[in-house]
Amino acid sequence: MLDLLSFGPGGWGWQILAGLGMTVAVAVAAFALGVVFGSLGAAAKLGGNVVLRGVAEVYTTVVRGVPELLVIYLLFFGGSAMVVAVARVFGYGGEVSLNAFTIGVVAVGLISGSYSTEVIRGAVQSVPHGQLEAARACGMGRWLILRRILVPQTLRYALPGLGNIWQLTLKDTSLVSVTALAEIMRVAQLGAGSTRQPFLFYTTAAVLYLLLTTVSTAAFDRAERHTMRGVRRT
Amino acid sequence: MKKVVAALAVGAAVLAFGVAEAKEWKKVRIGTEGAYAPWNATDASGKLIGFEIDLGNDLCKRMKVECEFVAQDWDGIIPALQQGKYDAIMSAMTITDERQKVLTFTIPYGTEPSSFITDKKSPLASMPKTDILDIETPAGKKAIEDLAKALNGKTIGVQTSTTQLAFLEKHLPKLSVRTYDKVDNAGIDLAAGRVDAVIGDRSVVEAILKEDSAGNIVMFGPNLVRGVLGEGMGLGLRKQDTDLKAMLDKAIAEATKDGTVSKLSNQHFGYDISIKQ
Repeated sequence: MLDLLSFGPGGWGWQILAGLGMTVAVAVAAFALGVVFGSLGAAAKLGGNVVLRGVAEVYTTVVRGVPELLVIYLLFFGGSAMVVAVARVFGYGGEVSLNAFTIGVVAVGLISGSYSTEVIRGAVQSVPHGQLEAARACGMGRWLILRRILVPQTLRYALPGLGNIWQLTLKDTSLVSVTALAEIMRVAQLGAGSTRQPFLFYTTAAVLYLLLTTVSTAAFDRAERHTMRGVRRT
Repeated sequence: MKKVVAALAVGAAVLAFGVAEAKEWKKVRIGTEGAYAPWNATDASGKLIGFEIDLGNDLCKRMKVECEFVAQDWDGIIPALQQGKYDAIMSAMTITDERQKVLTFTIPYGTEPSSFITDKKSPLASMPKTDILDIETPAGKKAIEDLAKALNGKTIGVQTSTTQLAFLEKHLPKLSVRTYDKVDNAGIDLAAGRVDAVIGDRSVVEAILKEDSAGNIVMFGPNLVRGVLGEGMGLGLRKQDTDLKAMLDKAIAEATKDGTVSKLSNQHFGYDISIKQ
């Protein structure tokens, strides 16, 4: 039975490995996109502009408030329908379909970003206001304050929360399997249905996710220690 | 301003009525799940295989078009058709009224027959097995009459909310019926002697036979299809693609008639799922 997982003829090894790679690619891209969305969202929420704040508020409320799977469905089916509609208005009659990877990354990135917004906002607010005033009193410009005071300390406060979001993002990528993108979950489903060995394939998938989360948790721990180096007691 | 309004109106009209394309079919893309062996499956190298893949390629050859199979998860299989990700669904999809509201189906190319099993010591075991019979035909009606006689006074097990239960209620109303959440559990009760026979999807009752290593359970009587048992599996198409439906209907009828469907079916299922008219 285990030879189904081998890399030889009749083995699913290469497909599973490719699925693992795809999961990591989607997760990393989506998480990065999420941090970008999160930073913009946090900036909008903390900034003075009422319209931007409203947009950010709607974004986090809606995306955090509906199930992740629904967001993916909306983008996967609504997204290309929208593109097709726009293309038709401009006289393009053919079929347009967004590729599953792009949709997966954007969908999971949106979800990841909505949670990151709150984590980053909280972290920015945790930086003592007095430090910013002191920096300004020393004559530092906005960018210098951002680079030397705000970002390093925000990172320190945000990392534990972002580590959490990374794990959520990693697992959310499994939902992208509905678009038939061949990541771990989709390969497991195919293997289970095609060989009639569901337990074997789903257990393998579980082990791989566990492996990914364990390794990445260790990496985040190291990163946290690194950002704490200025305040750590030894 | 007027030009803008006109342009928008044209755009809206195009959206509303779709692009009226009298397109000639040169290439047909077929969506399938790729995880429902032996109907459709994926092999270890990631290639789509199975009964429907082989049959689909044969149909395309008959229609003289190029064929491409596209893998799509079952959950999104109908929306993706409507978005134009592919032109037809061939994924063991049963033709139902519900689905016909949004899709057009070709004529069925196959069907999962309903079969009966019993204890080998039961008198029922001697009832001859038949080919697949359409219950709406005279031969099928005759088979049901024979069943009614043979099963008179006996208890039959069936899975609840299935087409088989609907069949028993409609065609064999006098039988005493016991319902189960799963056919497998009906099989356990059959082994224990609490029911005299069980009816279920052929592939499922075959799995019960395979589990029964002692060989106490046997299949008997007719293999029934159609009518309340469902119209079988067809290709699902977008409603407007009537030309494609005509082409596929013709190809399916030919492939059924010349025995190609039976041959492929025997090869993948070990029995014949084709629908003889």
